[in-house]
Amino acid sequence: MTTNLKGMLTHIEPPKPNPQAGRRWAFVIEPDRCIDCEACMVACSVENQVPVGHHRNWIAHREKGKFPYLSLHFEPENCHHCSNPPCEMVCPTGATFRREDGLVLINYDDCIGCRYCMMACPYDARYFDEDRGVVDKCTFCVHRLDAGQPPACVETCIGGARHFGDINDPESEVAKLLARHEVYVRYAEAGTGPAIFYIMD
Amino acid sequence: MSSTPHPEISAQSSPDSAWPYITRRRFLGVMGGAATALIFSQKPDIPLLTSEMAPAYEGHRPPTQYEVVHTLCEQCVWRCGVRAKVKDGRVFKLDGNPHHPHAKGKLCPRGQAGIATLYDPDRLQYPLIRAGERGGGKWKRVSWEDALDYVASRMLEIKEKYGPEAMIFSTTHNLIQTQFENLLKAYGSPNYGTQRSLCFNAMILSNLMTYGLEEPGRDYSSAQYIILTGRNLMEAISNSETQDLVAAIARGAKVVMLDPRFTKTAAKASEWLPIKPGTDLAFHLALIHEIIENEMYDEEFVQNYTVGFDELKSAVSGYTPEWAASKCEIPADAIRRIAREFALAAPHAFAHPNWRTSNFLNSFQTERAIAILNALVGNWNQPGGLVGGGGGEGEGLGTIPQPPYPRVSALRLDGVPWKYPLVPFKLGVFQELRDNILRGDPYQAKGWFIYRQNPLNSLPERRKTIEAFSKLEFIVTIDISMNDTAWFSDVVLPEATYLERYDPLAVVGDSVFIRQPVVAPMYESKPGLWIFKELGERLGLGDYFQYQDEEDYLRKQLEPLGVTLEELKELGHFPMPRGESAAGEEETPALSWNTPSGKVELASEVLRNSEFPPTPIWEEPPAAPADQFYLLTGKVAQHTQFATQNNWLLHERVPDNPLWIHPDPARDRGIESGDEVWVESPGGRVKTVALVTERIRPDCVYMTPGFGKVSKGMSLAYRAGVSDSDLHLSFIDEISGSQALSQTTVTVTKA
Repeated sequence: MTTNLKGMLTHIEPPKPNPQAGRRWAFVIEPDRCIDCEACMVACSVENQVPVGHHRNWIAHREKGKFPYLSLHFEPENCHHCSNPPCEMVCPTGATFRREDGLVLINYDDCIGCRYCMMACPYDARYFDEDRGVVDKCTFCVHRLDAGQPPACVETCIGGARHFGDINDPESEVAKLLARHEVYVRYAEAGTGPAIFYIMD
Repeated sequence: MSSTPHPEISAQSSPDSAWPYITRRRFLGVMGGAATALIFSQKPDIPLLTSEMAPAYEGHRPPTQYEVVHTLCEQCVWRCGVRAKVKDGRVFKLDGNPHHPHAKGKLCPRGQAGIATLYDPDRLQYPLIRAGERGGGKWKRVSWEDALDYVASRMLEIKEKYGPEAMIFSTTHNLIQTQFENLLKAYGSPNYGTQRSLCFNAMILSNLMTYGLEEPGRDYSSAQYIILTGRNLMEAISNSETQDLVAAIARGAKVVMLDPRFTKTAAKASEWLPIKPGTDLAFHLALIHEIIENEMYDEEFVQNYTVGFDELKSAVSGYTPEWAASKCEIPADAIRRIAREFALAAPHAFAHPNWRTSNFLNSFQTERAIAILNALVGNWNQPGGLVGGGGGEGEGLGTIPQPPYPRVSALRLDGVPWKYPLVPFKLGVFQELRDNILRGDPYQAKGWFIYRQNPLNSLPERRKTIEAFSKLEFIVTIDISMNDTAWFSDVVLPEATYLERYDPLAVVGDSVFIRQPVVAPMYESKPGLWIFKELGERLGLGDYFQYQDEEDYLRKQLEPLGVTLEELKELGHFPMPRGESAAGEEETPALSWNTPSGKVELASEVLRNSEFPPTPIWEEPPAAPADQFYLLTGKVAQHTQFATQNNWLLHERVPDNPLWIHPDPARDRGIESGDEVWVESPGGRVKTVALVTERIRPDCVYMTPGFGKVSKGMSLAYRAGVSDSDLHLSFIDEISGSQALSQTTVTVTKA
């Protein structure tokens, strides 16, 4: 699968853990470990019963060079659960809301299917569920988090590229990764405050 | 992100409207003017909601109360441990079992998609007997009683009229293979076909000749240098091994990848060498030459544990890096450097024995060179090197009593050993078997019993395989879906999927693992253990199937272990008694080998006695004629061979197989990505779609195998993509019986 890259890659100062601030769920991704097998995509489709033809996560390709000098990088992606989410701002009914722990979720009873959020999202993370008449997207597997389990895509990642946890907990794997590595995010300039951090090569 | 609807799927109905057959359509209110206006107004700064204040998440929520059943995956042959989540008799998610050494808590895309195999609306539901002409798609539904009676009567008729050798049996690697072999041996046929000669004959025979074992293991945990010769582990996923390779790369191990294609493994490797097809042998011979010439080999290991060094040394004396460079198009300096790096990193280094190495007629020599390269650097049982193979999957388990098998005097139709003296019986030469059905030589086969295999897709030259079918009076296929082979059969029997049945137990590492029904078999599907017993009894071979049912079979296997079936079902796995397990053997470093000399054979007397070269020798692969391309094949991570193309979750990921072609030859032919092209070999021609990409050598084209189904019983896979079996020619290596799958050349023209 080839997906167009959404947004520029911007090197940022990794966020420091803030234990006082409460939980902030986030992904830290090691693109070097992604093998583009798409187990994450299938796991998500099954876990969340995503309608055929749609998906909540994907893998962007970055291919460079000419034969035989080639490079090919894979960047797993899903909803960035931004701290300043444009989708929430444009939602006319307040159906899209942001939870205290950083999750950006949708109240489907309030969603009228206007799809403004789909246009607002710079990451193209949302899709329109024709059968239910609502917009949907990655929830960081909120139901699994509530049951103390990692998102399905993280659990099955063959390459171990997807890491997940609370970046405000200094003891978490993700906080430790952020402390050790340089990272970049997508569309930092848009001020969305994404919660997916990519480790530099 | 694609939003293409899949009418094939959404149009399907399911009894309980379960996913993905969602039919509920939410009633939409009319969007009022007030709501629209809001969008354009500045939104007030709303404080964050706490978990308590936030509206409940009303999206799809899987059940929180459910049953977990431990079983084993069968979406490929790696057999990962699975934890199946079940609610109200329905599987809703499969997770990797953290206790299983092949899964380590993870499943690959195929494993994750297992529920779409179980709930595939195209599954075979009941026994069918052909009602019209072969391949015509007309079937009569019959009861199991009638179907088994009919199959047994036809098999007995063939045995009586032509002898048991007129009946061919074939299957692919699976847990119940022992019982399948039991059936064919009890019936008395010598004719047994497996996928092995299309896959790894060259690798296995070369290791048998060198080390006296089939396939050495690899220690990734401390490997510093790994040479992969076409082993595309990132796409041809062997779950745990793929995980190990990624971890080794992340740790800093250097990986050198030889492949004419820039695969995803090449993308992850430290160094990609776009080697000319068929010349990997030259590269490895030069490595051997360099390591010997510069005395970089492990002298102590070579002296104490190998035979034939001097003969090897003189045999490779001409294989200089400059010579190799002229053959394989990799610069001599790079070969020299890699030889040095590899030898310096040894013993924490290995050249991977690879897997499907049936690429060219010289692949046996390539594999021998790789086995010898490892021996020279003394990486045997060293951290980061090669490790001895484990025991068999049934080792240490209880057995079921049975009488001795009848003596077989007929020749094997696959030419083992009368034409292929060194090919082990269990490997066979499947292409030769097919060709001899067609020729009726040395005798005419009359029937074919096919279990969980798809020779119509897997064997080269599909046209020939269909012709071979026409020589037969009777063909029966047991499968879970109406694949191409079933489509051309006379009787089709529906097997229960891996999530619905018991299979014989599997020993992996130091534990025994169970495959058990996660849900009851759907429709009228039945487990193989039941089918073989019922059929055996009807064939008068009941004494060979002395078990009451599947559970009784497993109880007999468990007898020596001190664990009940009920306990094992609950736990999913159980430690094997020490000393009897495969792992117990691995712990003792083997310093003697199961070869005639008891040592690692750099020069092999067995090969010499069979009038084959005792040391690896250069064999020039045929050059592609002008304006033709080598036709490469190779897996994608999302499909298994010929089996998963109709799985709706995997079809969604990879629906077809466009032809990879380099931009230069594409430009010469006026071909752009998405254009229709004709691909033609002397074996046939297909019309497919081009994918113009830098990721392949200009003298090669590539297509993924397994597509281009002709069976209308697979609604998603039918005519999706094209089949490489329509193009591949049959080339058989006389030493190993391997099919040379990359030796076919093709022309490509714009359609």
